[in-house]
Amino acid sequence: MTLQNSSAYHMQSSLMRESLVDKHVIARTEGQVFSILPDVNVIQIGGRSIMDRGRSALLPLLEEIVANQSQHRMIIGVGAGVRSRHIFSVGLDLGLPTGALAALSAKDSAQNAYMVSCLLAQHGFVYLEAPFVVQLLPAMLAAARGAVFNGIPPYSLWEHPPMVGKLPPHGSDAGSYLVGEVFGARNVIFVKDVDGLYSTDPHVNPDAEFIADIGAQELIDRKLPTLPVEPSVLELLMKAKLMKQIRIVNGLTPGNLTRALAGESVGTVIRQ
Amino acid sequence: MMADATQDDNTPRPRPGEQLFHSLSDAELEKSSEAALDFAILPWVNVVKIGGQSIMDRGRAAVYPLVSEIVANLDKYKMILGTGAGTRARHIYSLAIDLGLPTGVLTVLATAVAWQNAQMLHYLLAQYGIPFVEPEGFGTLPNYLMERNAVVCQGMPPYKLWEPNPATGRIPPQRTDTGCFLMAEVFGARKMIYVKDEDGLYSADPKKDPSAKYIPRICVDELLALDLDDLIVERAVLEFLARARNIHEIQFVNGLVPGQLTAALNGEPVGTIIYKNGHAR
Repeated sequence: MTLQNSSAYHMQSSLMRESLVDKHVIARTEGQVFSILPDVNVIQIGGRSIMDRGRSALLPLLEEIVANQSQHRMIIGVGAGVRSRHIFSVGLDLGLPTGALAALSAKDSAQNAYMVSCLLAQHGFVYLEAPFVVQLLPAMLAAARGAVFNGIPPYSLWEHPPMVGKLPPHGSDAGSYLVGEVFGARNVIFVKDVDGLYSTDPHVNPDAEFIADIGAQELIDRKLPTLPVEPSVLELLMKAKLMKQIRIVNGLTPGNLTRALAGESVGTVIRQ
Repeated sequence: MMADATQDDNTPRPRPGEQLFHSLSDAELEKSSEAALDFAILPWVNVVKIGGQSIMDRGRAAVYPLVSEIVANLDKYKMILGTGAGTRARHIYSLAIDLGLPTGVLTVLATAVAWQNAQMLHYLLAQYGIPFVEPEGFGTLPNYLMERNAVVCQGMPPYKLWEPNPATGRIPPQRTDTGCFLMAEVFGARKMIYVKDEDGLYSADPKKDPSAKYIPRICVDELLALDLDDLIVERAVLEFLARARNIHEIQFVNGLVPGQLTAALNGEPVGTIIYKNGHAR
């Protein structure tokens, strides 16, 4: 057993030889986090809520984005929508696992993001795939006037198994939020087709109560059957270091996005 | 085999493509997918994770015998070989945390370390025709596995800047143990084997505490109930194993002891097995 004792050379560092699973070691890694792109606004355009409605919903929203371009730097995440619901249905019928469903669905949001980038191209927006977000986003923002990215995170086959069922838990809301968190952006704004958060789905129940401001934990505890954002966003918000609130606005109402960018209280805020 | 899966199920099924359009709420949507059948994409593949600090950092003394053992098993078993990161990852995590960088950036940095280890393992296995495959090239896996019986890949999941923060601290919670587990789960693999430098799970770190007790077989809930400060595997793996649909147990063997990997591939109970709750056998 000499081999067991002849240990490897360990490079000098505060984590040298440590188990990275050890709770005490993990606790030592807390500390101040640096904002990489503190003035960038992440705008998430919903798939079913905006994109699937086509021209009538999308074009006014894009005009509003362009109108804000001189004042605010924006990167735009785009969701998947109803095509993913279809391919999830077919994939489930075929018995495919969660990771395969995630890989398939990411192409639906990529299509939507690419269409948005075409519509914004003349205003200097570029479409960036995940590897380019990693390597080139700061350079692109210096050279171009904005960027569009696939809202669905690049988890692909490595998507987490969900708590219930087989549907991928990290969709475009989670991916756009994570981009805002990792870059320490100015804010993350979800553009949907509802005025914000309601006690029940306002499209089904007209008596639904509007919630303007709520904590993520409180919202999780309320166990609402439908939320305007993916439930995984609430879990991520609980662990935020930098992006400690998100805002949901109705993109079908002109001016909402502009007000949100200006820091006005519009829609719903969900806080850590 | 594919026809059997649907014939066994006599419950009325929605038309393909229609199923999720009947759900009125998100909660209902999730539940409607719960009853879906599961198809194993690569049911004969074994995912083998080669530890970073525990194996690769030890160099020739640890890696050469293990490579020989892998090669000796190539005619019997098909393997996806994923690598861990190790001491260079610990160094760059320390440095990056000191610089105030976020978890997603730490993931990008550590992925490069696991990649280096995968490249080195790949160089040693190249003469057997075994390729190195990036996550983007996974579409070619089935062909390589049929032709050469193994592939090498880096163990980190390709989350890049999208790695979620941990509940505490800054170290990415989903690292190479998790990346390899998720490969096994998504492909419906035959086995998930972790090759480390210990004989399995102990009630404490045997390198630091000689009174540590050996645990040959344990379920996720029992293991979590022990509330150990340290564990043999990333906590995310236990969380995912608890709700996995394809993988029901994971095995930990000592790669410094010749024959343990072979025994695990043969289905023998070497090392420690952690199993999904309710799958005691």
